[in-house]
Amino acid sequence: MLPARASGAEGGENTVVPSFGVAGVPLDPSGGPLLAAKFSVPAVARGFVRRQRLLDRLTDGTNGPLTVVTGAAGAGKTILVSSWTQGGTHPGPVVWVTLDSDDTPGVIWAYIVEALRRGLLGLTGDIGMPVGAGSADHSMLVRLCSALERLPEPVVLVLDGLDKVPGREVTSGLGFVLDHAGPRLRLVLTSREDPSLPLHRYRTEDRLYEIRGADLAFTPHEVAVLLRGHGLVPGRETVEALTSRTEGWAAGLRLCALAMEGSGDADGFVRSFTASEHAVADYLTAEILDAQPAATRELLLRVSILDRVHPDLANALTGRQDAEGILTRLTRANAFVEPLADTGWCRFHPLFAAVLHAHLRSRRPGLEPRLHRRAARWFTGSGQVTEALAHAAAGGDWKYGAAEAVRHLMPGRLLADPEAEGLEGLFSRMPADVPGAEPALVAAACHLSRRDPVGCRACLARAEYHLDCKGACATPEARLTHVLLRLLSEPYEQRHGGADGTAAAEEAARHIGELMAQLPRFRIKEHPEIEALRRHGPACALLKSGRLDDARTAFADAARACTAEATHLVRHQCLGRLALAEGIDGALTLASDHARCSLAVADQHGIPQPHRSGAGHLALATVACERGEVSTAIRHIDQAEALPDTHDDPVLMTERAILWSRVELAQGRWAAALAALDELVPSALVWPAERLAVARSTAALARGDHATAISALDGAEAASPSRTVALALAHLAAGHTETALHLVAPIEDSPGPSLPDRVRIGLLRTRAAMLGGDRAAAHALLAQALDAARPEQLRRPFTEARPWMRHLLHRPDGPLGVHAWLTARPPDRQDDPILIEPLSGREREVLAYLERMMTTDEIAAALHLSVNTVKTHLRSIYRKLCVSSRREAVERGREFRLL
Amino acid sequence: MRYEFRVTGHVSAGLAEAFPELDRVLAPRQTLFFGAVTDEAHLYGLLNRFRDLGLRVEEMRRLAD
Repeated sequence: MLPARASGAEGGENTVVPSFGVAGVPLDPSGGPLLAAKFSVPAVARGFVRRQRLLDRLTDGTNGPLTVVTGAAGAGKTILVSSWTQGGTHPGPVVWVTLDSDDTPGVIWAYIVEALRRGLLGLTGDIGMPVGAGSADHSMLVRLCSALERLPEPVVLVLDGLDKVPGREVTSGLGFVLDHAGPRLRLVLTSREDPSLPLHRYRTEDRLYEIRGADLAFTPHEVAVLLRGHGLVPGRETVEALTSRTEGWAAGLRLCALAMEGSGDADGFVRSFTASEHAVADYLTAEILDAQPAATRELLLRVSILDRVHPDLANALTGRQDAEGILTRLTRANAFVEPLADTGWCRFHPLFAAVLHAHLRSRRPGLEPRLHRRAARWFTGSGQVTEALAHAAAGGDWKYGAAEAVRHLMPGRLLADPEAEGLEGLFSRMPADVPGAEPALVAAACHLSRRDPVGCRACLARAEYHLDCKGACATPEARLTHVLLRLLSEPYEQRHGGADGTAAAEEAARHIGELMAQLPRFRIKEHPEIEALRRHGPACALLKSGRLDDARTAFADAARACTAEATHLVRHQCLGRLALAEGIDGALTLASDHARCSLAVADQHGIPQPHRSGAGHLALATVACERGEVSTAIRHIDQAEALPDTHDDPVLMTERAILWSRVELAQGRWAAALAALDELVPSALVWPAERLAVARSTAALARGDHATAISALDGAEAASPSRTVALALAHLAAGHTETALHLVAPIEDSPGPSLPDRVRIGLLRTRAAMLGGDRAAAHALLAQALDAARPEQLRRPFTEARPWMRHLLHRPDGPLGVHAWLTARPPDRQDDPILIEPLSGREREVLAYLERMMTTDEIAAALHLSVNTVKTHLRSIYRKLCVSSRREAVERGREFRLL
Repeated sequence: MRYEFRVTGHVSAGLAEAFPELDRVLAPRQTLFFGAVTDEAHLYGLLNRFRDLGLRVEEMRRLAD
């Protein structure tokens, strides 16, 4: 995998087009270039036996939708399908994809779509690409199916090595495609185990063609052909003996042929092989390994730690310069080495590689970790950091691995994109006691990505000890990583009587900026997440200290800095918190837009649940509460509660409790409203504590308990506008009109109060004017408040003031004529496409009669229809409204305002 | 959990290095591997390892602890 990633679609949350790298190479969602090798049909090697009986079976199989080729390792599955691809009879073009164990579902679907696109000119329609590396979105599968359905001729799609794909996501996607892609798709799967598709159902429906292990076993005739292909002239007994000893196992027979070629005494080999009690693979690989020249044997053993072999890398492991020649010779001899088309890399047959690996451990004990360390250094030198880290980890060389990780700024990447490149899994295996600054920094990042800031700070303290010891030796990368982790893990709390935490956060962000300037420009370009996280940190601190305006600006800036692929998680979090700040500030329309953007980013990039933020849902709940849409609010609070940060972030925890309390209040449940607030552990932070006090006061006031409403707000040192407004409202309700007016006078014209609070002040003055008997002034003030609230459809301040408000609103010349929005039924479900199919005109008529409690016969008579027709209408009404009775139909009809 | 796996053919000490957590005993035409298996995941991991090495598991059973 290359460290350079896609430059990313700028601001394009809604685009599903594949991103393109600098050289115009299509990139898969995890950022690696699509390896042409994955689409190329593996070469059929020397000595291959053309087995017509199996080729014919594949031709038969591909007349139907699904052919599954299963068999043990080395049974000859891949070679059968590749030889059929190159010289068999196909119903249409054959498209090949080789699967690997490190492919995630999103990457696999990207390969499949790209392979089809390359192999088929007739493929029409924009299928798009999976948007996240983690998984494929369902809509892409639907588009794929419909494109396949429109194909003019059949296509054979070969997926080689399905067993290597972990989990069930890909197979269940394949099941969907098989069921919906129409008759043109002919799928061929090779696997060492039965794929987790409903094979039994396919069998009974006659949609499955199977070629299994027993079919793949070599017959004596085929064994003879194979041996002759290696220049051997076997007698009949030899053929029989080998067939029965290997049970027709293809890999075993190829090993036999190689061993017989090499030994010079073929008969002797056959005798000792058949007489031996050894496991076939064990015996044969040992034979072959021992028959190799010493240099080759050493190379084979040493490269067995690799998934893929490059001659330079092999040289690095052997300390010699002869790898290229040896690998070429092995490839030519068909000794289980397979070149990867046009890459310079090659791959060993997995069976052979696994056996070699075991031999390495027994013949060169203790060498394996050292080889991994050498491989790590080679990969670092060639710029493949993730591979280097994986080998450093496998070699237990954490000090080196951590140093490289920090040098390449990987801890920041881990925080911005925990799923990327397996960093999380890799780093979390590091033991806790590796000494040094860099291991401590990596461990700190792991703690933080697991939402453990306390553990993170403990590791940072350890890192500081080392960084300070070394003094000037600390690299700018290490210092940058350190300050960044500090910025993101510090609580930066504004405590009672404490210093302002935001100044410290801003100072840290500025420091990071300076350190960034000291790094090479290309390194910063490779890591756009550093800038994004650097802005995210102070924005969070601003929100914690309740500076909503500044927080809004800071989050908006941070979200704008998140333009790259690697920053979508930060973008999701920034937008969510931006929306929440806007919601609290009364900018409801903006809040709703940004919250939806935040959720869309999470969905489109497949951000997994544990890393998602609940801020977006809390923002939507806030908007719904302010607009009086209670059921929407409840739904969003529920969704927010399922996400982890609404349980450990002090601001989100507080907002969650306040929202529950408001929802309970809206339903008239005062005790429950207070209980929701009491459940929360009191926060040490100034602003959340104040938000909580205001909510307590509001709840008490709703119950008519002014004394509690006032005392809940007592003890403020420097009261914020919202606290002052709440206190003034409590005094107003208690009859202290003068005190109330006196309280709001200083803040009224300042820009301090949020929109809801400004509306509340207006209502307070309205009430004061009414009590003073100045009706005209009261009406004017109310009209002003309504005008201010109208653009955001802000209803809550009016519903809170309900008892005395009603008279004013509902008088004949009252403002409700212009301000009908205030009492309009909230369009609670406007964005929920629950009613997928609209009711027809006739169905609506029938529904209207149902509401009048008419029987089926009466409705039929009234509409001049037959009873059966009415019954048909009723059934389709029930289906469309998802109900099962008349009563429910009428209720649901009212809910959707169909009645 | 302790398990026993019976594998076709004799498995050499070299190849048995792939199973450092299991003990190995040779029997006629078979090799017995046995030892503690941590959990289900470990069990499937072992079965995969046998398969990767081309070893055929003829029989597998749980032993009394």
